[in-house]
Amino acid sequence: MADLPVQIAGIGMKNPVLVASGTFGYGAEYRPVFDVSRLGALVTKGLTLKPCAGNPAPRLWETPAGLLNAIGLQNPGVDVFISDILPVMRSYGVPVIANIAGFTGEEFVALAERLDGSGVDGLELNISCPNVKAGGMALGADPCLAASVVAAVVRATSLPVIVKLTPNVTDIAGLAREVVAAGAAALSLINTLLGLAIDVDAGKPALGNVTGGLSGPAIRPVAVRAVWQVAQSVDVPIIGMGGICTGRDALEFILAGASAVAVGSALFHDPLAAVKVIKELERYCERKEIGDWRSLIGAAWKRGNSLAGEVR
Amino acid sequence: MSKTGEYSTRVVEHLVLSRDVFRLTLEATKLAAAARPGQFAMLGCGSGFDPFLRRPLSIHRVQGVSGTVSFLYRVRGRGTEWLASRRQGEAVSLLGPLGRGFRYEGNSKRALLVSAGIGVAPLLFLAETLMGLNWTITILIGARTRKGILCRSDFERYGRVLVSTDDGSAGRRGSVVDLLRKVFDKDSYAQIYACGPQPVLVAVSQLSADKGIPAQLSLEERMACGLGACMGCVCQGADPSRMVRVCADGPVFDASEVILNG
Repeated sequence: MADLPVQIAGIGMKNPVLVASGTFGYGAEYRPVFDVSRLGALVTKGLTLKPCAGNPAPRLWETPAGLLNAIGLQNPGVDVFISDILPVMRSYGVPVIANIAGFTGEEFVALAERLDGSGVDGLELNISCPNVKAGGMALGADPCLAASVVAAVVRATSLPVIVKLTPNVTDIAGLAREVVAAGAAALSLINTLLGLAIDVDAGKPALGNVTGGLSGPAIRPVAVRAVWQVAQSVDVPIIGMGGICTGRDALEFILAGASAVAVGSALFHDPLAAVKVIKELERYCERKEIGDWRSLIGAAWKRGNSLAGEVR
Repeated sequence: MSKTGEYSTRVVEHLVLSRDVFRLTLEATKLAAAARPGQFAMLGCGSGFDPFLRRPLSIHRVQGVSGTVSFLYRVRGRGTEWLASRRQGEAVSLLGPLGRGFRYEGNSKRALLVSAGIGVAPLLFLAETLMGLNWTITILIGARTRKGILCRSDFERYGRVLVSTDDGSAGRRGSVVDLLRKVFDKDSYAQIYACGPQPVLVAVSQLSADKGIPAQLSLEERMACGLGACMGCVCQGADPSRMVRVCADGPVFDASEVILNG
């Protein structure tokens, strides 16, 4: 089988396939279904400083080839994560990236300090959650605010800082440049698109939180476009995500400039989706006789694309 | 310990029980061996990515000898419509068994099973299991009309069946909650098991608290992962600061563990 190693923000991974925060719990939930150590890295559900009960039900609503959710960051809090959950996650032998969600800039810093030296391999700053009233997207859609939070977190931790961006902005490349200038070592894109559905039988919004975040294949072209634009604007690696269900979907992101991908909602369609993506990438590289898979990163826009005319 | 897995299964039999209620029987040997009453499975309900999510269906019946598992479901939307079109021999992907099922410990083996509409689905597997453990059971089935009373003859193999309909076209006229109150006044039970619409579960929960008889409720909620990872299918826990996951902490809860909205 073809090897697919990659380094993201100094974190070495045996393959570039991760899971998207919030869709995979803390890994243990999927262990009955497949060996989670086959993944490139695990990304936790968003962690808050204090335990968080999340939003009122209903929290899910299926949409055409997609899913609208408004979970609202339900999690046991960073301290329980460090004491009870992280030791189990570390036992899988794959890098663990902690997704952190502060409701203020100070909380982001406190979360980063708490996790420094805890045993996680990196932080993913969730400045893009559309389902909370404070922090999240409200903070991450403003390039100045976003940059100041990123700079403060980078100062507060020795861990690599990955920043997860919201697509709910007019200029995602501009936002990315600010965040990278502030010290982001890598970017995750995209978080969900802000949406709303009405339950016409009930005559009211389908979600308890009214608005939610849209994910799934429905948003894939938006995500690929964001990766394409950002990859040509910054020099840090990108973890691409948004509706990836198959190896071909993952290749779209890689060719657009992603150095790694994350499978998210597709796990709900098929719990084996992430392992299938790994296998399909391996097969693709073998079939195409690609020596170093990383030559595919951004190949769709790079000059001297050796794959031009070959990739179908 | 866990036998939960992702399986590709074949349709052995697919029966139409009423206008929009189907009984789907799948060849699923490992699931048949592992499943316990009250557990469920996530069934793939489409050939592409639309519909996108699987549908959680409770395990209705298990036949260990033939290695088959049955699901009783009502067609409600595009997912179940697709499922209803599956013919004998066709494939259905399935993740299961999932969740925490019914508990049945104790010496006083007298149970009251309360259901309405499609809520009979998980209770048939339970009734059969309880009979095998020498429990004495009474089954209450409610529906709007006679046609909505499901699986009556199946349940009659396992215990006494009492029926109520809103229009009086079968059994007692009125809701299954009225029937429940009536039955409660006459006999004593060690345990109540219930599955059905929210008002029925709320009434059972209230009666359970009033009379001091434990009740277990099988809840229904829209789900995404089915494994406890996504936090999508929650219900208010007895501790108001805690939301419990229907898929992983349930779907069967002690009535005292959850707060239901009437």
